[in-house]
Amino acid sequence: MKVSLNWLRDLVDVDVSVAELANKFNTHSAEVDEFYQLVEATNLVVGYVTEKVAHPNADKLSVCQVDIGTGVTQIVCGAPNVDKGQKVIVSLPGAVLPGGFKIKKSTIRDVESNGMICSLSELGIDKKYHNEEGIHVLNEDAKVGANPVVEMCLNDEVLSLDLTPNRADLLSMMGVAYDTAAILDKTVHLNEYKVEESNHKNEAKIEIETDNCFSYYARIIEDIEIKPSPVWMQARLIAAGMRPISNVVDITNYVMLETGQPLHAFDFDLVETGKIVVRMAHDKETLETLDGKIRTLSTSDIVITNGERSVALGGVMGGLETEIVSTSKRVLLESAVFSPTHIRKTSSRLDLRSEASMRFERKVDPKRTVYALEMATYLFTKYASGRAQKGIQFVDNITDEVKTINLSLEKINRTLGSDYSLQKVSSVLTRLSFDYTVENDVYVITVPSRRQDIETYQDIIEEIIRIIGYDTLSPTLPTTISLGKLSESQQLKRIVKDTLTSLGLSEAITYSLVSAEKVFDFTKEETKLVRLSMPMSMDKNVLSKTPLNGIVDSVKYNVARKNKDVFFFEIGKRHDEDKETLLLAGALCGEISNTLWQGKKEVVDFYSVKGILSTLFVKLGLSHLEFVSMSDYKNLHPGQSAYITDRTGVVGFIGKLHPEYEKQNDLKDVFVFELDLEKILELRRPLKKAKDINKFPTISRDLALVVDQSVSAKKLEDVIRKTGKRMLENITVFDLYQGENLGENKKSLTIRLEFSDSSRTLEMTEVDTRTKEILVTLEKELQAVLRY
Amino acid sequence: MNVYEKLEQIKKDAKEHIGLVKSIHALNEVKAKFLGKKGSFSEIMMLMKDLPNDEKPKFGQITNEAKQIILDYIEEQKTIIEAAIVADMLKSETIDVTLPGKKFEIGSLHLLTQIQNEIEDLFVGMGYEIMEGPEIEIDEYNFEKLNLPKDHPARDMQDTFYISEDTLLRTHTSPVQVRTMLNNEHKNAIKIICPGKVYRRDADDATHSHQFMQIEGLVVDETTSLSDLKGTLLAVAKKMFGEGREIRLRPSYFPFTEPSVEVDVSCHNCNGKGCNVCKGTGWIEILGAGMVNNNVLEACGYDSTKYQGFAFGMGVERIAMLKYGINDIRLFYTNDVRFNKQFK
Ligand SMILES: [Zn+2]
Repeated sequence: MKVSLNWLRDLVDVDVSVAELANKFNTHSAEVDEFYQLVEATNLVVGYVTEKVAHPNADKLSVCQVDIGTGVTQIVCGAPNVDKGQKVIVSLPGAVLPGGFKIKKSTIRDVESNGMICSLSELGIDKKYHNEEGIHVLNEDAKVGANPVVEMCLNDEVLSLDLTPNRADLLSMMGVAYDTAAILDKTVHLNEYKVEESNHKNEAKIEIETDNCFSYYARIIEDIEIKPSPVWMQARLIAAGMRPISNVVDITNYVMLETGQPLHAFDFDLVETGKIVVRMAHDKETLETLDGKIRTLSTSDIVITNGERSVALGGVMGGLETEIVSTSKRVLLESAVFSPTHIRKTSSRLDLRSEASMRFERKVDPKRTVYALEMATYLFTKYASGRAQKGIQFVDNITDEVKTINLSLEKINRTLGSDYSLQKVSSVLTRLSFDYTVENDVYVITVPSRRQDIETYQDIIEEIIRIIGYDTLSPTLPTTISLGKLSESQQLKRIVKDTLTSLGLSEAITYSLVSAEKVFDFTKEETKLVRLSMPMSMDKNVLSKTPLNGIVDSVKYNVARKNKDVFFFEIGKRHDEDKETLLLAGALCGEISNTLWQGKKEVVDFYSVKGILSTLFVKLGLSHLEFVSMSDYKNLHPGQSAYITDRTGVVGFIGKLHPEYEKQNDLKDVFVFELDLEKILELRRPLKKAKDINKFPTISRDLALVVDQSVSAKKLEDVIRKTGKRMLENITVFDLYQGENLGENKKSLTIRLEFSDSSRTLEMTEVDTRTKEILVTLEKELQAVLRY
Repeated sequence: MNVYEKLEQIKKDAKEHIGLVKSIHALNEVKAKFLGKKGSFSEIMMLMKDLPNDEKPKFGQITNEAKQIILDYIEEQKTIIEAAIVADMLKSETIDVTLPGKKFEIGSLHLLTQIQNEIEDLFVGMGYEIMEGPEIEIDEYNFEKLNLPKDHPARDMQDTFYISEDTLLRTHTSPVQVRTMLNNEHKNAIKIICPGKVYRRDADDATHSHQFMQIEGLVVDETTSLSDLKGTLLAVAKKMFGEGREIRLRPSYFPFTEPSVEVDVSCHNCNGKGCNVCKGTGWIEILGAGMVNNNVLEACGYDSTKYQGFAFGMGVERIAMLKYGINDIRLFYTNDVRFNKQFK
């Protein structure tokens, strides 16, 4: 809502500057987007063109002699429409026009020019408010030498309010005036409009056939003359952001802006039946609206008909058939109230949002219907030389209920944490022009009809505190005592994030919406998708099944920009229709550490990622998790992928991206992993009791074993552990050798066995015996032999 | 040359020889030369038998003293040699300390997580629990129970990604508040904050993102007031933007709160004098808040004649952008390592 200060001053005393008013609105009423001078130009005068001759050296220029009150001055003008006898806007040397454009005395092709004759655009009035190409020609009654901005009534300031949907009352100058009065502690003074009627009785016949039109009032005004509206009205419409069109259109707009009540003017001669019937539209009924579009209606649209067919889309837009044109003589002026939800449905279905629909949607003040009608009729008689027929025709189904709200002083203070007295609250209610009674510290407040948004006592409390000012409240803290805490899953998330960052990984956050084409890139199965019903783009039309989609994309993004070392993890979700599962995922590539000048570097491989995860598992008390070779994922390398498992099943996976996938995506040696954090959370067993440190010595034996390539380290370990029993404390693989001299398909693993007993010192002979037993079993079960 | 003179000569020779020795091995050789079985002193001892008996004890003593002196020379020289060896070793082991050290990867939390943790910690310290909930929500929890019935004009304030008529991507974390109130069997006091991802049907540009992080808070009890809200949000402003910050509450509108306020923090960049960060106003809008609307309390099973409270919601990206002067929200989701790694 753009508020003209001149207009506002008509309705209420404003004794502060626009800047101060803006500040007060911000803190007491509604957010102010901006405030500004409507025309920001200096040193302008009204000039009278006494003479115009062609420029001697330029075809398109004229040399004008202009009387500017203090004398006649010569100005070169390029506008084709400049002419002798015109009153024009002259910017004199020294003038500054919008955009910082400075006017100087100059010589144009050898002819002296002492200023410029201006167009409205040059004064900063946007082209959307006028359609003038050349200079602006002022009315004949403009005073030569006067300030043309004042002559055009454009010497105004504008406060632009960014309204929230509840404050429908501020969509009218009257509403703004009431709020200004409350803020500044002033009173609103409204004009009274006394319509002079002719002897012709109002010919209109009004019928309402639907519950969704609450009231319908109509006047007929005859003998109107379509012409421009007065300059002051045009100026106010421009300030309010509306384009002046003609007196009839401008008056209906002007009254709507002042009262908040949308009006519609029909050419009554084109309403052939002389009858107005309001009903719901028939299904598939069509109507050509004012914008020339043929609308197909539905049964939830309210239509104004002539009893035979629709002539307007009630509360949204008029019909072309009965549009006011330059030859119109008789106007039927409508002031009605329609159902907000139906207006909203219609305007959103047809994507047709008008100033009228916006106001009806947010509820208009039913007490202004007649006021607005009379104000407009009065203006028609005054500025369109119309004659109002006698009486108003109407149907009004609104029951005149007075809304009252009970509110105790105690509740006010308890809600606000304040200590206001009855006197203080009463004075605020008075400033707001709310009628009230008070008994035993309980108010009974009558809600004025202009405040359709006020429904509960909480709304009243808001009114009270915003007028008193939020700045007067002293900051305190809630007194309810409670224990603050993170949930177990939040704690787990933090531990995981802290551990991984300390191991060199960085957290990424990616979008949950991905493309349906790629959503299964990193899943084993194609489970049911969660699809958006109206996606904004096809690359974000479904919810992801793993954060890996986003993470791998982020790796691609970085690698393409030569950020080659990328170590990402993310905690995200698998989104299924009925369940969201917390997942940890990661993707790594590049050098994780190096000392280049020493020729040392560690490039991420399967084992570095596995090591990172194993360290995380140690931190989480899950060192028992195992890595089991697998080849179930289409985009993972079948020879370098593993499930991460527990006795109860799979909790995640790790693997290298498939070389084919890497090739298609310009990636190289990227390793990914994913873990189900909810399973991890279930598996975690917090440490309950500390273990004693083993005081007895450890005896170790190293075994270099030759086995088939197919025998995994895990299998060897399993057999060793089974045979080694309790005294075998630890097993470490510390060498892998794969030379031809071992024989075809053979490899050698060197394994250190550490024996110990927490209750005594082991004898060498016991250890040797046990080692032998292990070797025998290894040979029997895995055909493992000692290398030397 | 008598024996005394000889002895003196040996001492003199020894001092000279020993002083020239450069290695422990050579020193041992010199030691043998003077003090060994076939050394100079053995010769002197041979001569001793020619001395008169009464002189023998005195000569013996002198000889022993001379031996000791030579031993001292050797010991001294040994110390010198050892020091030289250490010095040589240190010299040969000297490195260029200016060569680069081994490069380790140091990971970082995403800036949004860092901000989220900071805010969570502040609230945990004030006795709040952190609650989370699903991102795929039902209309009833995301809108209807929050005093936003279907066809409410305020639904235009949030463009929504629908999955079906009744399920959607949550547009705020308020449904977590709804769930917490509904799940509270005793219908007693609640003090929670709800962080999480939320979604709006907005085209991505420098200031809009279809996905962003929100932190909402809710306190419900019998006394919590708007002044308590003001104090709580002042604590947030000071924590996130510095001790000197002030806040300003302005009237606003949210269907789920009444009164509703927009909260501004005094500009940390110019201390409220006005600059381009605060568009010259000295204030920066950081969050929306208000007293819980009674319709919400009742819809969630709370008796609004007894209970009251406040709620607030803030965008984590917005706070991060203000705090670090970041001017494109998309940077948070691009994960360019050059951007992310600045925030250690
Ligand atoms: Zn600033």
